[in-house]
Amino acid sequence: MTQSFYIISWMDVLVSFVLIALSIGLIRWMKIGLEQSLIIGTIRTFLQLGLMGYVLTWFFTQDNWLFMVCLILGMILIAGFEGTRRQKEYKIPHLFWILTGSILTAVLIVLGIILKFILDVEPWFYPYAMIPIAGMIIGNALNSSTLAVNRFIGEMKHREHEIEMLLSLGASPRNAIDDAMKSALRAALLPNINGLMMVGLVQLPGVMTGQILSGVDPLIAVRYQIMIMYMWISTVAITDILVLLLVYRQFFTEKAQLKKSLLRSAL
Amino acid sequence: MTPSTLFSLSQVSFKIGEKSILNSIAFQVFQNELLCITGPSGAGKTSLIRLLNGLQSPSSGTLLFHGKTLSEMDFTLLRKKVGMVFQNPVILEGSVRDNLSLANRWAQSESGFQDTDLMLSLDKVGLSAIPLEQNASDLSGGEQQRLNLARVLLNQPEVLLLDEPTANLDGKQADKILDLVRDLTQSYALTTVMISHDEARVRQYGDRILYMDQGKFVSS
Repeated sequence: MTQSFYIISWMDVLVSFVLIALSIGLIRWMKIGLEQSLIIGTIRTFLQLGLMGYVLTWFFTQDNWLFMVCLILGMILIAGFEGTRRQKEYKIPHLFWILTGSILTAVLIVLGIILKFILDVEPWFYPYAMIPIAGMIIGNALNSSTLAVNRFIGEMKHREHEIEMLLSLGASPRNAIDDAMKSALRAALLPNINGLMMVGLVQLPGVMTGQILSGVDPLIAVRYQIMIMYMWISTVAITDILVLLLVYRQFFTEKAQLKKSLLRSAL
Repeated sequence: MTPSTLFSLSQVSFKIGEKSILNSIAFQVFQNELLCITGPSGAGKTSLIRLLNGLQSPSSGTLLFHGKTLSEMDFTLLRKKVGMVFQNPVILEGSVRDNLSLANRWAQSESGFQDTDLMLSLDKVGLSAIPLEQNASDLSGGEQQRLNLARVLLNQPEVLLLDEPTANLDGKQADKILDLVRDLTQSYALTTVMISHDEARVRQYGDRILYMDQGKFVSS
């Protein structure tokens, strides 16, 4: 058998609507009442990703480092904005800049190492590598830092008396929240570490599946996937630790007093 | 001889949001006295002693410790000198040793508490029979309150602030704790400010009793 690379035409994609029709049939049969949402979601997926294909094609032809840097910065700002929106009930001061700065730091470190030392691309802003990898880093950093902040605030609320007791003994705010922070970071990192344990045993990860379907040698696809797994864990570690180290300060006054009203304002 | 003043408050008010908790309070705490502050729930007693430990700051007015404005002081140092025992004992997971040596987590290695320090502190609060390895959450309510007191005493404070130390104890246990507080105040030349809504009980222990209601001191 020779290695083949099957191109999907737009017509083929339309045929895949059969799968949606099947799902709608099942939903109607079970009277779950989600037909309308599914139809809207189906159309949005088609339009958003279709449009993204054309946009990416255009991006990939841009042979301009300044354009690429602005593009990545724009993606980071959007992630910072989205992360702040997700946490809006907490009213944490400076959260937008905390998220944006932390994600930017993770991108600089992780993307820098990958582009320069692993892929060694030429030019350094090679769009085919830079855009998808930066996208993965930013998306992952956004999701995990949002969860870490949520978890951290939950821990601080749960441990409010403990934190004040430690402060009253002369602990600095950093020492007083140490257990809460460790607990939140453990919760944020553990799923990713478990992911490292289980990868490939139950299902093939998305990137690798996509590459194999596109005709890439599985051994090459596997190497990419390994790099991406390591990239994910380092992104989560860098972003979550930075974000929490900056977020906890917002919950204390300069006199090392817990801002109880801010903590309680959070749902 | 006039006793020296440790805390001096004048025109101190404290608000949470728009709600006024303390209204223009003025009073002094003198060295080596056992001062009891009583009054109904919601009178502002807890807020007042939280100001003395620096867990919160006055909205207005002057609060001096040893003649210095509190806001000029290093708060972590102040809190070691002015120890606070909360109404509900805070017991963390782990042994009695873990609970007593919390400060070792942030102390420089050579200045951390040793087991002998911990045992001495347990002895001061009448818990010398409790082994350091014992799980702290297995202690009774009264013992947990004493453990909290022992933890504060490890810092060798000048001032002891006690927030309703007898609130969760039966009559006999409550008297034992109050006896202990009086003994500690005298034996270690401490200055103690204790708040309680149980006026009848604390009356016989305090060198001075102050009454609070609606964020102010009132005459009894």
